[in-house]
Amino acid sequence: MSDWVVLTLRAALEHPLEASCIAADRLAALGEREISALPIRHDRQAGVLGDFFTVRGERAARVRVVGGLDAADGIGTGMAGGELVIEGNVGRDVGLEMSGGTVDVNGNAGVNAGGARPGATRGVTGGEVIIRGSVAGDAAARMRRGMVVVTGDAGGGTGQGMIAGTVVVFGSIAAGVGRFLKRGSIVGFRDIERPATFRYACTYQPPHLQVLFHYLRRHHGLPVADAHVTGRYHRYSGDLAELGRGEILQWAGE
Amino acid sequence: MQINGVVIEDTFAEAFTMRAARIVITGKNAKWAREAALKLTGFATSVIGCKCEAGIERELAGTETPDGRPGLAVLFLTMDKESLPQRLIERLGQTVLTCPTTACFDGLTAAPDRLAVGKALRVFGDGFQGSKVVGGRRYWRVPVMEGEFLIDETFGMQKAVGGGNFLILGEDADAALGAAEAAVGAMDPIPGVVLPFPGGVVRSGSKVGSRRYKNMIATTNDAYSPTLRAITATALPEGVNSVLEIVLDGLDAPSIEAAMRAGIQAACRPGVRAISAGNYGGKLGPHHFHLRKIMGT
Repeated sequence: MSDWVVLTLRAALEHPLEASCIAADRLAALGEREISALPIRHDRQAGVLGDFFTVRGERAARVRVVGGLDAADGIGTGMAGGELVIEGNVGRDVGLEMSGGTVDVNGNAGVNAGGARPGATRGVTGGEVIIRGSVAGDAAARMRRGMVVVTGDAGGGTGQGMIAGTVVVFGSIAAGVGRFLKRGSIVGFRDIERPATFRYACTYQPPHLQVLFHYLRRHHGLPVADAHVTGRYHRYSGDLAELGRGEILQWAGE
Repeated sequence: MQINGVVIEDTFAEAFTMRAARIVITGKNAKWAREAALKLTGFATSVIGCKCEAGIERELAGTETPDGRPGLAVLFLTMDKESLPQRLIERLGQTVLTCPTTACFDGLTAAPDRLAVGKALRVFGDGFQGSKVVGGRRYWRVPVMEGEFLIDETFGMQKAVGGGNFLILGEDADAALGAAEAAVGAMDPIPGVVLPFPGGVVRSGSKVGSRRYKNMIATTNDAYSPTLRAITATALPEGVNSVLEIVLDGLDAPSIEAAMRAGIQAACRPGVRAISAGNYGGKLGPHHFHLRKIMGT
């Protein structure tokens, strides 16, 4: 048993790599040889994980993936526990439909981070996705429970159809965020162009954000500014075309 | 045994097993956290008449609280595990929920026994309440006129010790009070302990039952009442004209012992003749704190 399982990419990926087998809880029970033998698809061709990654460590619920993973899709899919750290950029569908544990991306993520499969009624049902960069498109679509934090920018489909949970975006969010939001919170530090089906409620200091931001600082080491921790937020309720129990919280200053 | 010329009597304090919760109250500043804590712990001196005992354990810096704001830790105790959630729901709902800027958190997060206090109080939101899970803890957001009240869904409960005590036998009332104040000051920094009585001091220590009134479960401790020295079986040494009691509750016996040690040491000063303790012959409470053993270690 090791403290960490470290997967290091052997060579730059020339084609999309479907790597949904990489999830901390699944690797926790496996030895090095079993991990190397996990099925993986590269450019639609079947292969095994060991063809693309060197594997160091075994039987640990803490996994570090190293390398240029921009074309590696689906890492952390369905993860139910453990800690998965991705050193660098990652492809689409990271943390897809996960239900527990933490996925920590030290870089940018592709579309549909912390998201749902096409046509699925719900996506993430628990756990935390931390992206220390931007998301090239949507994040947290149809999330049922859990948390997605993006320290950079996010696309307009972020939080689309969210049922509950929390999304925090430090940077800018493209127009249309929160469409079809039922419950849940979308928090932004910059101006947010909301759908017309959101209605202004008040400007206040949400106490749960202070708990959340201190947690992000202490547990994940995220640089949340004091002004954002103690500041006031505009609260917009919506999506009123849906259940209307959700909220967009936009930072309004100190 | 003597400390600074003060006799430490060869006796023990008899204490009981209770159930405790630690409530963390934060506020916009320490003033508002204290306002809520004072109301919460008001009229909570003794289970005999208050159904619970409570006190402020210590102040908390922002680095110690979930929301980074200044706060206070309160220990809250009842005699049984069934009544603890009910008392908490009543009191938190009337004192902390109502207090501007405050939030309310569990201070015993590792305790396996969980009390669904926040879950019960959430219904004040009349269906408009919502929850948030942060770091595996569920918090309830209750909409109120000020904005929102935030409270942990559950609070931990653990076994605790209630009724630790010692008696300060003074030459006069001023000497006893001065020694009691010194004792309280020395016990204040000890973690895991609260002194539920006013200023931490009791002037009306009691005995079990009554000589005259059958319906009374506690009456004046006549053996330690100076005005009754001549007409009752007194326990007062010569020269003692006033007695004050320090009662303390704690999360465990070592915390009680540490606080008693600090308090008794501070109380042994000029004007104090002896330090004693209250007990019931050792037949009622499972925790016995022997004064000489505590002060000898």
